[in-house]
Amino acid sequence: MRSCKLLIVGAGAAGMSAALSAWEAGCRDIILADRASRPGGILHQCIHEGFGRRESGSELTGPEYAAMLAGKLERSGVTFLPDTDVLSVEADKTAVCSGKSGLERICFEQIILASGCRERTIGSLPVAGTRPAGIFTAGQAQELINLRHLDPGNEVLILGSGDLGMIMARRFTLEGRHVIAVLEQEAQYGGMARNFHRCIEAFSIPLRCRMTIKQIHGENRICGVTAEHIDSGEREFIACDTLVTALGLIPERELCCKGVEGEKWLYLAGNCRKVHDIVDSAAADGERIGKMAASGFYM
Amino acid sequence: MQRFDAAVIGAGVLGCFAARELSRYKIDTVLFEAREDVCTGVTRANTAVVYPGYDHKPGTLKAEMTVRANASFNRLCEELDVPFSRCGSLMLSYGQKADEVLRKKLRQGLVNGVPGLRLLSPEETYAMEPGLAPGLSTALYSPSAGTVNPWQLGIAACENAVQNGVQLRLNTRVIAMHADAGGFVLETDRGTFAVKAVLNCAGLASDVVQELLFPSAVHIVPTAGDYLVLDRACAQMPARIIEYEPEDGTKGLTAVPTVEGSLLLGTTERINTVCYATEESGISEVKAMAVRLFPGLDCNDVIRSFAAVRPNPMSRNGKDINSFCIEHPAKLFWSLIGIKTPGLTCARELGFYLAGRLAEEMAAEANSQFDPVRHGIRSVRGLSFVERESLVRQNSDYGEIICFCEDITRAEVLEAIRRGAVTVDGVKRRIGTGMGRCQGARCGQKIAAMLSEQLGISESAVMKDGPGSVIVRAGHEKL
Repeated sequence: MRSCKLLIVGAGAAGMSAALSAWEAGCRDIILADRASRPGGILHQCIHEGFGRRESGSELTGPEYAAMLAGKLERSGVTFLPDTDVLSVEADKTAVCSGKSGLERICFEQIILASGCRERTIGSLPVAGTRPAGIFTAGQAQELINLRHLDPGNEVLILGSGDLGMIMARRFTLEGRHVIAVLEQEAQYGGMARNFHRCIEAFSIPLRCRMTIKQIHGENRICGVTAEHIDSGEREFIACDTLVTALGLIPERELCCKGVEGEKWLYLAGNCRKVHDIVDSAAADGERIGKMAASGFYM
Repeated sequence: MQRFDAAVIGAGVLGCFAARELSRYKIDTVLFEAREDVCTGVTRANTAVVYPGYDHKPGTLKAEMTVRANASFNRLCEELDVPFSRCGSLMLSYGQKADEVLRKKLRQGLVNGVPGLRLLSPEETYAMEPGLAPGLSTALYSPSAGTVNPWQLGIAACENAVQNGVQLRLNTRVIAMHADAGGFVLETDRGTFAVKAVLNCAGLASDVVQELLFPSAVHIVPTAGDYLVLDRACAQMPARIIEYEPEDGTKGLTAVPTVEGSLLLGTTERINTVCYATEESGISEVKAMAVRLFPGLDCNDVIRSFAAVRPNPMSRNGKDINSFCIEHPAKLFWSLIGIKTPGLTCARELGFYLAGRLAEEMAAEANSQFDPVRHGIRSVRGLSFVERESLVRQNSDYGEIICFCEDITRAEVLEAIRRGAVTVDGVKRRIGTGMGRCQGARCGQKIAAMLSEQLGISESAVMKDGPGSVIVRAGHEKL
């Protein structure tokens, strides 16, 4: 059985930052495990700029920021374990991991879960109507376009003006697609002002506030939605061939379940602990938690 | 012209079982399905309950079949290697009128031979299901009720039928029929078939299919129902199926702790509008009723809503028909028209019955080679460390997880494709990918990519479900 002093689950911005700060704080036996074959997590699909201001003083793109952190990681003595899914964390301080090479238990003294978050889907609203193809979460659409070079659709309606929704509105526009509108249930956009200016205003994308979707139309592929003006209750049909949902993020804490929850050797870091506005804050959180975990060994 | 002894039209759960049961005899059978896969119609959206049989009048075919089917469900699911949970059910009463209904159902159930049926006191009921709303007056407990995944059951029956010699013809729609000296000639969009016998199990189209050749006394008026699915981590997950019909005659609720671990909530029926589309009012009714019945339930745990369509049989003068409609307009021609609840429970019994009658008419011999056992797709979920480790060692694809929510591996997806899945939802119906809390947002495109690779088609040719459900485009073609 492999063992380590500190096991970190998830090599996104928070997990990498946690590993680096724990290493710098003197913890010399760290394993950083991730599902993917390279560290970086979701950063790879975030090809826009705005990352790593703290460390670099400039605005890097997601892949650049990932590469910067990965470089530091390589120069440290942190062991990166690629293609590894952590299936469970047990009360006896072992983690069950699955990978192509097999199933193994990793024994640890402390563990940091930096498994990020997942997106709320349209199913959770829930909206009436059919269940056709052509409905994507913003993160899913981002992956399709930026990493898989696939084409999700042409006439795009975006539901939710959080940062991810606004960034994807710009992304679709830059790809030559027509963004019909970004619908927002609140009276103002949901994300940061900087994203509103850079993504929505700069590209003259219509932002329609106090609106929501009540029904999906289309038997096989989506052909439109019934949208509602929340205040008047008035409804309109908006034709589209693609619906992108940016409905918010939920921390992914599946591993922190009964039996281990609340143990003092288990830490949550980054978006797994609480959803952060920007990646830089998730990374800072990881850094803080990494240091805290490392100090656990040297108190 | 191709020749077979028997043709089964429609590969939903009923057609698949009819074909499987026919393969117990030396009857050369072809199973026609208009769609690209089996179990894509009525079967795909369903309450998933295996009913105990107290709902039907004693002496009726429905009562008799349901009780018999329920009793043999463990064996059936063992043979077909399909998960079945005999979790029991509680039908609730919060008032005198409902008390009376439950007493009637109890009497009926006892006459029908439903095992273990009894009325519980509120104390006994709350001890079993502490999450239920206060004010209960009594509950009808039925330990033999259970739940099964409808499409997994249908697909298993189909695989077993094929294993026993049935020929499955997908993407094949029967468009005309006529009788001739040898039996029946079926014109399909993929050629002409001559058969001696026809079993019509065409679900929503079963009346239309019969009318290709014979008049039908029954016609189908589809009704629909709206459902919500809650995440397995939801609060107040009941251990048993909970059924409730309110005193005031408004819509009731059925709550089913599914074999997948999620909670399925569904209402009684409404008029069907658009096929498989949920209605706002339906969704809010389910929500309202669910919260009324389980006060601690959090609707933020909803991960999906969907609509079911039920083939409601009606007589020509517009009256609802409550019994199973088994039409026999001519020798060697049988139709199941409008088999709704408890059609899933009785699917195998109905198939067995039809196959038996047909075999009699054809004087067919038993097929001594018939093997009732089908092996399901080996899944890693719930396996012990040692079992799972040995599986990964045999096949490293069992080490790579594709669906994170439901813990489903590459090996399972590949096997689903090998066994006939051609769409993302076809994979879902075989192994459950995308049924968890992220609803396929993370695994959907990985599965589409695997389908593209395995089937040798471009990713833009991979459909979500039926024809036209394009997920991503190639080039700049119009959607």
